[in-house]
Amino acid sequence: MSRAAAPLQWLTMGLLALGLLGLSPALSLSLLAFGLGVLTALKLREARSLEERRVVALLQLVCAGLLAALRPELAPSLLQGLAILMALAGLLALELGAGPDWKALLRRSLQVLLAALPIALVLFLLLPRLMPFTNFGAGQGMGAMTGLSDSMEPGSIARLAVSRQAAARVAFPLGGEPPPLEQRYWRVLVHERFDGRSWRSTAPTFPRPVVGQPATPPPPPAAPGEGIQLWLIEPSGLAAVPWSGSGRPLSADLRLQRSGELLNRAPGSQRRVYALTRTADQPGWRTTPPGPVDLLLPLGENPRLEALAAGWRRLGSDRERLDAASGWFRRQPFRYTLEPGALPREAPLDHFLFESRLGFCGHYASAFTTLMRAAGVPARVVSGYRGGQWVQPVGGTGYVDLRQADAHAWSEVWLDGEGWRRVDPTAWAAGDPLARSGAAAGSRAGGGPLDWIQQQWWGLDIAWARWWLGYDGEQQQALVARLLGEQRHLLGVVVLLAVAVSLAAGLGGLGWLGRRHRGDPLRLELERTLRAFARQGMAPAAGETLGGFARRLSQRWPSLADPLEAFVANYQQQRFAAAPSRAGRRTAHRLGRVLRRSLRTGNRPAEAVQRDHP
Amino acid sequence: MPSSPLQPVISAIGEVLLGKEHQVRLALACLLARGHLLIEDLPGMGKTTLAEALARSFGLGFKRVSFTSDLLPADLTGLNVFDPAAASFRFQPGPLFSQVLLADEINRASPRTQSALLEAMAAGRVSLDGTSHPLPRPFLVIATQNGLDQGGTSALPESQLDRFLMRLSLGYPPRQAERALLQGEGLGPDGLSGAFGPEDLLALQDRADRQHCSPALLDYVLDLLERSRRQPSQAHPLSPRAGLALLAAARAWSLLEGRDHVIPDDVQAVLAAVCEHRMDGGQRGGGEGELSQRLQEGVDGLR
Repeated sequence: MSRAAAPLQWLTMGLLALGLLGLSPALSLSLLAFGLGVLTALKLREARSLEERRVVALLQLVCAGLLAALRPELAPSLLQGLAILMALAGLLALELGAGPDWKALLRRSLQVLLAALPIALVLFLLLPRLMPFTNFGAGQGMGAMTGLSDSMEPGSIARLAVSRQAAARVAFPLGGEPPPLEQRYWRVLVHERFDGRSWRSTAPTFPRPVVGQPATPPPPPAAPGEGIQLWLIEPSGLAAVPWSGSGRPLSADLRLQRSGELLNRAPGSQRRVYALTRTADQPGWRTTPPGPVDLLLPLGENPRLEALAAGWRRLGSDRERLDAASGWFRRQPFRYTLEPGALPREAPLDHFLFESRLGFCGHYASAFTTLMRAAGVPARVVSGYRGGQWVQPVGGTGYVDLRQADAHAWSEVWLDGEGWRRVDPTAWAAGDPLARSGAAAGSRAGGGPLDWIQQQWWGLDIAWARWWLGYDGEQQQALVARLLGEQRHLLGVVVLLAVAVSLAAGLGGLGWLGRRHRGDPLRLELERTLRAFARQGMAPAAGETLGGFARRLSQRWPSLADPLEAFVANYQQQRFAAAPSRAGRRTAHRLGRVLRRSLRTGNRPAEAVQRDHP
Repeated sequence: MPSSPLQPVISAIGEVLLGKEHQVRLALACLLARGHLLIEDLPGMGKTTLAEALARSFGLGFKRVSFTSDLLPADLTGLNVFDPAAASFRFQPGPLFSQVLLADEINRASPRTQSALLEAMAAGRVSLDGTSHPLPRPFLVIATQNGLDQGGTSALPESQLDRFLMRLSLGYPPRQAERALLQGEGLGPDGLSGAFGPEDLLALQDRADRQHCSPALLDYVLDLLERSRRQPSQAHPLSPRAGLALLAAARAWSLLEGRDHVIPDDVQAVLAAVCEHRMDGGQRGGGEGELSQRLQEGVDGLR
């Protein structure tokens, strides 16, 4: 047991603790992981004997594996990889005795990990998936999360507007292009219920699969060449996740609502990655007719507003009413500000529309939607994100970086024959931040070196999400179908074979690496030759030099004298003379081969020949 | 196989000292390595012949001193005598000031005298009344010790033993060689002509210093030293000075072998001569070179 064992195991414990701290307690498996971590630490504390420490090493590996199942993102994966490396080094320190030092242990541990890589790859690519662990028992709304909420009050988004906290990132790999800046509206929630003060989302829940019935059929995989949106969202606590409003989710975990919300089966306190394909046809939610709720508003709360809208009721069509309202809006001296002051309890929207005329997106969307409803046009408020900074990381896929400051609310108005049309009244106000930032080509002020580093890291994150997390059950089935075609029943055999081959390759590689580090090529060549002679029953005596051994050998096999002498002379030249050469190493290889061949073929000792041919 | 530059000398001495080629080579290596030689043997085995043959082969001055219990240091080093003509003291050099000194039966002399000799051997000079007199170069002391007849002698203390680079014993000649000896075929050392001169010897000594020792060879020597310090037997561990001596002797041996680099075989060839007397503490224990043999077997010699 090496002295490095205990420090290595404690170091592993520290890394595991870091990983455990990143777990959300809302996941039921987190508790299991916490418990396992504590158990391992206690066991390590009291472990004295080799066997106990072995148990600790195994517990640590199990713990790291559990963490890996719970946190598959890039940063935790790196941490878990490091923890596994250290745990393995600790195990090696236990098993390899006092010999190797830290560096040797870590190197060997790395080699073991590399040797395990092929087998991991085979299992990753071919073994059928379990449902992600993150789906089990996810609770909602644990802890206060910054972000959008189900209930939109005019003042609510102002809190977010100053937050630089990351909200989401969306990339458009496979040739997908990000929409132009003025078209970047990422919808999340649809608020249809208005009580005069706040807009509530209907907040439907994800349909639970019924036992005995097949779950929702998996969506067809993306056809090659289809552009996709790849989303990576920070924990939000919301069931709905952002999307561009067009496309089709690629995972059965996501469900598109008729209202145009994209629901996540595991609403979450965890980060989530999902992808949507681009579809050519009109998204269904856009033409889903409005219900009576889209015209409801508490009457008599804002008399001046209702009076204004009543004038538009006389107009023939919804389109004319919308034009009249937007024309009126544009004429008023609205000004965008994040600090408009509190609205009065009595007739708040009247105050905003006719007196203060100061506000931000929540005010505008709320007031405009109310106006439209009062004018008899179905309308609703949508909250989500707008804009976002386009980031092109070095050598990676570009993405749109959305912060909480990009949170936004706008209106949607139903027009017969067209469907839901997005109307953003904030854009008509003076000082709209998007108009301002649009002039600066979407770049956000305050991009320090730390921001730059974070953006590069997120670029890596996106790549990881795309290639690693993005490889889900559907893609796997597609791969299996491509590999095996109709012979799907052979999958088990193929997996077993591939596992056996990669196991053999890994073990072979380990052996090769181990030998490579044990000595230089010259010595290896010598040992190979010595083994050949050992099989013939001749081994060097204790402390014998090569020269002395060679003399004994040529006494026994006089015909080998010449190749022996050449081999020994070259070896001694390479090993002990002033200027060994690379050519000499090759010569050693050649001479060794010649010598061994002479030993094998026809140059057997006289008595052996006699025994074979009596 | 490259031939030794000293092969003529080896052959010539071989004709004088029959059947002792290995010992002759070791003595030559000792000379090339600027070391001193301790020969432990019975009388009549050819110690004097070897010393004289070595001296004559290189055209070196040779003196022989029989050490007795009443021998004083001044008898070796010489002394300041009053010169009445010059009315001053003049240094009269003793037998120490010869290039090859045969110190016969060194263990018969008093420790004081032994000490004076060993100091001169180590320092290469003699200090007398505050004046330093350098010894000639090259300078080789061949001391003999009678292993059997120990009555009334002062054995060299072990701390002094390692002043000698090598300890040899000549041993009885093989039967063939002895027959030739009895037939009178052996030549006397007088017949040796100096194919080499003292200058050549100095040049050869310099060349021996420059023999290449590769890292692998140094590792071998280091392993031997480390092994000697770890072995559980009562053998004395080898000092760093012993390591230097071993390497120097191996260098000289490799030169004798006609190579320009040292290989483990060279180290093994001189190992017993260089290390045995440093490990056994002057006690002639067990068999010939038993401790060195065990040491050698404990270290991988293939490299």
